[in-house]
Amino acid sequence: MSAVPSTLRPAPARPVPPPRWRLVLVELAALALVLVCLAGLQIKWERLADLPASIGLYTSLMVRGLLNNPFSEPWSGYWLVSLEFMAQSLAMAWIGTVIGAMLSFPLGFLAASNTAPRWVVIPIRQLLNAIRAVPDVIFAIVIMVPIVGLTPMSGTLALAFGSIGTLGKLTSEAIEGIQPGPVEAVRSSGAGPLQLLRWGVAPQIMPEVIAFWLYRFEVNIRAGAILGVVGAGGIGSLLSNLFGQREWDRIGIALFVIVAVTMIVDAISGAIRHRVIAGAPSRPATASGAIV
Amino acid sequence: MTTAPPRSARPVRPRRSPLVGVVLIALVAVTIAAGLVIEFDLLPLVTRFTRGWSVISQFLLPDWAFLVRPSTVAALGTTLATAVVSTAVGAAIALVLSLLASRVTNRSGALYRVVKLLLSMVRSLPDIAWGLLFVAFVGVGAFAGTLALVMFNIGIIAKLTAETVDAVDPGPLEAADAAGANTAQRARVAVLPQILPGFASYTMYVFELNVRAATVLGMVGAGGIGNLLAIELARFNYDNLSALIVLLFVVVLLLDQLSGLLRRRLAR
Repeated sequence: MSAVPSTLRPAPARPVPPPRWRLVLVELAALALVLVCLAGLQIKWERLADLPASIGLYTSLMVRGLLNNPFSEPWSGYWLVSLEFMAQSLAMAWIGTVIGAMLSFPLGFLAASNTAPRWVVIPIRQLLNAIRAVPDVIFAIVIMVPIVGLTPMSGTLALAFGSIGTLGKLTSEAIEGIQPGPVEAVRSSGAGPLQLLRWGVAPQIMPEVIAFWLYRFEVNIRAGAILGVVGAGGIGSLLSNLFGQREWDRIGIALFVIVAVTMIVDAISGAIRHRVIAGAPSRPATASGAIV
Repeated sequence: MTTAPPRSARPVRPRRSPLVGVVLIALVAVTIAAGLVIEFDLLPLVTRFTRGWSVISQFLLPDWAFLVRPSTVAALGTTLATAVVSTAVGAAIALVLSLLASRVTNRSGALYRVVKLLLSMVRSLPDIAWGLLFVAFVGVGAFAGTLALVMFNIGIIAKLTAETVDAVDPGPLEAADAAGANTAQRARVAVLPQILPGFASYTMYVFELNVRAATVLGMVGAGGIGNLLAIELARFNYDNLSALIVLLFVVVLLLDQLSGLLRRRLAR
């Protein structure tokens, strides 16, 4: 490098593409893994041929359930039951998220290397990793159902416990990504350690953390479905009953309610998340001048 | 620039919007309503703890012999194979759909809206609902679980990748347009190289989810470890159940480590 002459060099040759054999090797290995797994599943492929026919049949049965006048008996009852269970699912997801958020918030500070000493960070992080590795339904089976019983409350507590893992991890990552400036400013004005967190750290992370909470609420609406299958309440219990009895018209109504309600909640939650992260829509200059 | 600004007074505290109060009241109201719906009650955690403890204590004595039974090993293999195959198939379909679900690569407004709507419908059904549907469609077994997870994966990967497509650097797109590329060509040469790292990372992330989801789906008849979990739970064999849960925990942690390692290498 040091002996590069300053004279004009001949036009460089076309750059040689980097060697690709390693990438090809990785791709072949991945392909082989997928093929081995596919063979291991021992799929009866003739069932795939029947799939379009059965999808068509069952979809038409489900649509038939939807097309009945929803205000006439017994269909109005079916719609109401679906809406009730869906409301229960939403309530479970909401309370589960609230509890999870409250418990994960302090844990996030304890798991961030810039707000907690190393000997605290490592065990707390491992705890959060361990919680994330376990599906929510396992918490329900092992801890909540034996103690609380087969009620929506036990499902809610399972969701809350499961939420701690993800929310704690995401919060700690947000804390580790803060700007040092505001923290220094607060420290230079003589703040104690808790004031430092309250005025230096928290204002920087809150928009992101609130977005995580909303995201987890959306996830918990879906995650709660499995809890119904083990009897811990929510739309899942209705679904597994209806599928057990093969009542396709009622299944159609229940699935429609799930899709509609979830899409509406996602849209609201997504709009709030966007507002929290991106801030208020910028106003014209005259308007902001008038405020001052 | 030349005139020095006047010495600024102490900054005025921004006025708190009255909306904040409304939002806080609404949040409290929603929380109270939700608490009423689920009959919120933390007392059982204390009063019924001893009753629950008799069950929980059985979980503390796992029967490790259960793990070396051929049926358990086969079930674990089925769950992992389900996760791998559904990740691969779901990711491939999602890549195509994500290109259709972004205005950058899809210039047909109607098709864009249809794909967007389809994807949000796919995403709004929980994995368990897909599992129950496909068990009804193709019968009990790992095939149903694989198809359910494919739908689950399409929803997540396509959404995340489409957002990555929305955010690509427009330079290469302009270059491709200037060179006369058609829609497929510009997606191939200008967009794909930019989104592949993100796409690969989302795929690994979804694979981690799939190992857990494949287990849970087994509980509604989609084969694998979940199937065993449901059977042992119904028989109250808590010692076997506990050994299964520990096995699952270890496998998930190991795969998360592996996947995290791969994702970090991809990010470089």
